[in-house]
Formats: sequence, structure tokens, C-alpha cells
Amino acid sequence: MFRLRSETSRGMALSAPATLYVGFLVAAPLGILVAYSFWTQNYVSIDRTPTLSNYGFALNDPLVRHLLLKSIWIAGLCTIATVVLAYPIAYFIAMRARRKTLWLLLITIPFWTSYLLRVFSWKLILGFKGLMNSALISLGAIDQPLAFLLYNEFAVVLTLAHAWAPFAILPIYVSLQKMDRSLLEAATDLGCTGFQRFRRITLPLTFPGVIAACLIIFIPTVGDYVTPALVGGSEGKMISNLIQVQFGAANNWPLGATLSLIAMASVGLVATGFLFLANLARGTIR
Amino acid sequence: MTSHPIVELRGVEKRYGNLAAVSNLNLALSAGEFFSLLGPSGCGKTTALRIIAGFQEPTSGQVLIDGNDMADMPANRRPTNMVFQSYAIFPHLDVGKNVGFGLSNSGLSKAERDMRVAEALEMVELGDLEDRKSDALSGGQRQRVALARALVMRPKVLLLDEPLSALDKNLRETMQLELRRLQQSVGITFVMVTHDQYEAMTISDRIGVMFEGRLKQVDAPATLYAQPASREIAAFIGGMNFLAADVLSSGEKGLGVNIRGFGKFHIARNPKVSKHGERIEVGIRPEQIGISTAEEKSDMGIEAVVRDIAFYGESIHYHVIATAADAPLSVAVPNHFHSRDFARGDKVSLDIKSTSIIDLGTME
Repeated sequence: MFRLRSETSRGMALSAPATLYVGFLVAAPLGILVAYSFWTQNYVSIDRTPTLSNYGFALNDPLVRHLLLKSIWIAGLCTIATVVLAYPIAYFIAMRARRKTLWLLLITIPFWTSYLLRVFSWKLILGFKGLMNSALISLGAIDQPLAFLLYNEFAVVLTLAHAWAPFAILPIYVSLQKMDRSLLEAATDLGCTGFQRFRRITLPLTFPGVIAACLIIFIPTVGDYVTPALVGGSEGKMISNLIQVQFGAANNWPLGATLSLIAMASVGLVATGFLFLANLARGTIR
Repeated sequence: MTSHPIVELRGVEKRYGNLAAVSNLNLALSAGEFFSLLGPSGCGKTTALRIIAGFQEPTSGQVLIDGNDMADMPANRRPTNMVFQSYAIFPHLDVGKNVGFGLSNSGLSKAERDMRVAEALEMVELGDLEDRKSDALSGGQRQRVALARALVMRPKVLLLDEPLSALDKNLRETMQLELRRLQQSVGITFVMVTHDQYEAMTISDRIGVMFEGRLKQVDAPATLYAQPASREIAAFIGGMNFLAADVLSSGEKGLGVNIRGFGKFHIARNPKVSKHGERIEVGIRPEQIGISTAEEKSDMGIEAVVRDIAFYGESIHYHVIATAADAPLSVAVPNHFHSRDFARGDKVSLDIKSTSIIDLGTME
């Protein structure tokens, strides 16, 4: 008995810092957010009478719906682009590269500079007088700078894909790395060509890594604020930009809180649906 | 019955830089044979197997299967199949899909494939496990699935890379017999790589012994045991006492030798050994030496003292010192429950018959 109690208290002592951290910095703010979403803004003061009016407004407002769907759309595009580009890189490092550690280090290089600077650098590359346009003009490929490079969905997807690529490469790399190589030889031995082997063994066995990569990228990019604000222009605006306005210029914190919660719920819903579909797909790609 | 060998290796060599994993490997296997490549780890036996399978390309030399040169034939198109050491069961597929994996590349109809899969599973006595998940299999069952998956392809040659090394001792012995039975019923040539001499001797028609990338001797198990071509082969296969002997007379069939401290013997000439100088090395298997009490010593008996005793259950090994020669010898006797046992320090008499002395040729 004594031993059991001491083990319990030791466990509690060990987890206390994390529990306090999560409690104060995640759970408490989230609670405040939920509380705010049921209040209303009264010009300068907050009316604390609980009401669903914020939700009623947000769910019926066409702008909110449009931005929410667009955020999911952009994040989805970005997820697909990143994973499709990341898979071959992860495959190369896991299966072909000799200096795996060096390659993995190179992959993390973008993290050595701040996220903000990386987004800005894309602005410099894609801008009207940016690197891309100057290069194309000096090469004689175009006469006038291309205006469609920056301030649109494409720019947002491109910037996000670049920023999040390592998060896709690493889980896929891990799942490739832990795959038993003799399985590949066995598949070859049983008559598979290289492509058949990839489709029947490598892809199904690394599927969990791909799913993980999708979720790791999709969930945070839906709510990304900096990238659409800097390179999205008016066309590339996302839900987080609207939320920011509520807490800033519009000074409507309750509505901002409501929008945040709706965005969170949507992401949760889409991610769950995605996992469900992924499970179905897993059964069929055998 | 084809007249040409089913597998033929001609001067096969595999080098990694300056290191030769396999050198000048020449081998011809006949159809329906159970052949084992035996050797210590790192001797190149697995490399040789992988060269036959097509997973590794020989640096030079030729691999022929059923008379066809395999030089430009990739592994996936060779008429060989392999049972991997780790079994390499596809974890995302059930037993039936694992076994049927290779058939879906074959262009057979679904009904035909299902029939072949059922047949193969029946063959390895897993008929009722077709829908079992592959992670719910025991070691022995995984081994059977790996066998069925390869046999279902009806290869001309089945390659087995240490197929039993992952199993515990009892299961391994059962599987040895079963592997042999299976091979005889399907009639396919089996090539097995193993480091376990007993396993190789139990199952094989012929054994090829490899050391340091070279094939040293190819013979039937009994020949290998009775007429090893060198000291290292004699030492690797079974236990062996080594003694030096002077050649007194040399005939076509036999040699007259004097083993110092043991006396003169007329022994058979070992046809597998090439060189015979004035001094040769002879070997005596521990179980070929008789042991009795010193009082029972016959005229031919050799005096010795027991130094150590190792009890193996079915047999007892006495480590003795032959007094006159001051030579350590190992003597193995079957454990007859009523026989006399000897204790450490006992004086004993050894009985060595000249027919059990093996000529190992000139001392290296």
C-alpha cells in the first residue's frame, strides 16, 4: 500500500509541471475563449449575458462561410502539394542517400531563419519587381512583369508548402526507414517490377506516415495568419485574417472568439472525415 | 529428366573492392536435389545464394539455371524463389494474400490462383489459416507461410536462407524433417544456406562447405563426415581429435603410419586429400574411440587419464590425456544407463581401431 501511494504521488509530482503548463496556457485560455463566444460586444464594454447570437450571425454570414471554405481549400491544396513533393524527397533520403543525417540536416535548414522572414523572402521572389520577374525579363521570356505570381491563392499555397515541407518529409521518412528491406526483396522475388513493388508494398506500408504528414500540415495551415496576410492579397485571405480583424480593428472579441471556435470545430470535423476516408482507402490499396 | 544441371555456377566471383566475398565458385546441381551451402558466418554462402536469386550481380562468372544464362535476367523474372531468413511476411496482408502475392503477377485466373493458394497452404499444413492476419502467426507458422508463398510459384529452384535459424530447438528439428519431406514430395531443387552442420547433414543430399569465399568440398553428408578434405572441414563438421603421424609406407589404397605415443596403424588413404608427405595429420572422431577401465586394458589399449567430463544427456564426453603421447583427446560414449561412469583422475584404457582413423594429408 505504502509503495503504491508513493508511486502515485511520484507520478503526480513528475507530471505536475506539464499539467500546470497545459492548464494555464492551453485549457484556461480556451475556457476564456468559450466564455467570450457567448457574450456580446457593447461598443466599449462587454455584455456578459449568455447568448447564441454570435453563432447565429457567424453561421449565416456568407463572408464567414466563404473564408472558412477557402481556408480549408487552401490548406487542402497545400497539404496535397506538400505531401506529393515530400514523398520523393523522403524516399530518396531513406532508400538511396548515403549520408542520411546530412540530408536530414539540410532539410531542416529553413527552420534556421524565422517563419516571418521566410514568408517575406517569398514576397521578394514572387513580387512585381521581384526575383522571379526580373529573372524572366532578363532572360527575355517575358516583356512585362507577371502580376499573378503574388497576392493570390497560389502564392499562399506555395509559401505554406515550402514552410511546412520538413513536417511532411520527416514522418514519411520515418515510415520508409523502418520498413523491412527484405519485404522489398521478397516482392521482387515474387515477380514484381519496381513500380508494382512500390504500389503493393512500399505505399501501403508507408501509408500511416503519409496520413500523419497530411494531418500535421492540414491542421495548422487552415488557421495560418501570417502567410495569407503577407502574400495572399485580397484573393488569398483566410479565416484567421477575419479573426484577427475582430480582435483588432473591429474590436469585437466575442465574435472573434466565436469564429475561432467555429474554425477549430471545422478543422476537427474535416480531419476526422479525412481519417475515416483514409482508413477505407487503406483497405483498398492492397 | 534433364541431362544438364538445373543450376550451374561457372567461376562465379563477387568482389567488394579488394575483398572477395566469393571466389571462383564452380557448382552444378542436379534436378530434384536438396543441396546445402554450409559454412561459418561471413564465408560467402549467403552471397552465393543471392547471386543465384539475382539480388546480387557476380563480378565475374556465369550463373545458369536450367541451361539458360541468367546474366541479363533480373531477379523478378528468374525461375527461382526464396525463403528469407526473416521470412519477410508482408505485414499488411493476410496469410492467403501473402501466399497468393506472386501469382497476381502471373496472369492466372482468380479461380486458378485461389486453387493454387489453397493447395500450397494444404502442403505446409496451414489449410485453415488462409484468413489469418500475418501478425497473429507463430514463428513456425510464419516459416510455413514463407515456404508456401515461394512454392506456390512452382520455381525450378527454391532458395532458403537460414530458414530454420529463427526457430527454437525443438521446432527446428521438426521442421528439418518436414522440409525434407516437402522437398521430396514437390521434387523441386532446394538450395539451403546454413551455418548449422547438423541441420545440413540431416536434410541434404549433398553439402558444399565454404570457407572464406571458397567452396572447399562438395559431398554427401556421410562422405563429408568420413572423408573430410582438410583439417578445417574435419574440425567444422562434428567433433574431431587431431594427431600427427609419420608415414611408414604408402600404397594406392592405404598408408602405414606411426602415431607417436599410440603405435603403428594401417589406415585407408583418403581420396579427398591431395598431398601426402612424410608427416601427415590424422583425425579420430570422439565417438569412434572405445573407453574402458585400466584393469581391462587389452594389448592394444592406450593408457590415459580422465581430466574432464561433460554430460550431454544422450552421450557423455570424456576429455582425457593419453599418457604416452601426452596428447589431449575427446572421447564420446553413448549414455547407457547401466554402463560404468568414470570420474576425474581415473586411469582408463582407450581403444582405437585403425579403420576409424581418418587420413587428413600433409600437415598444413
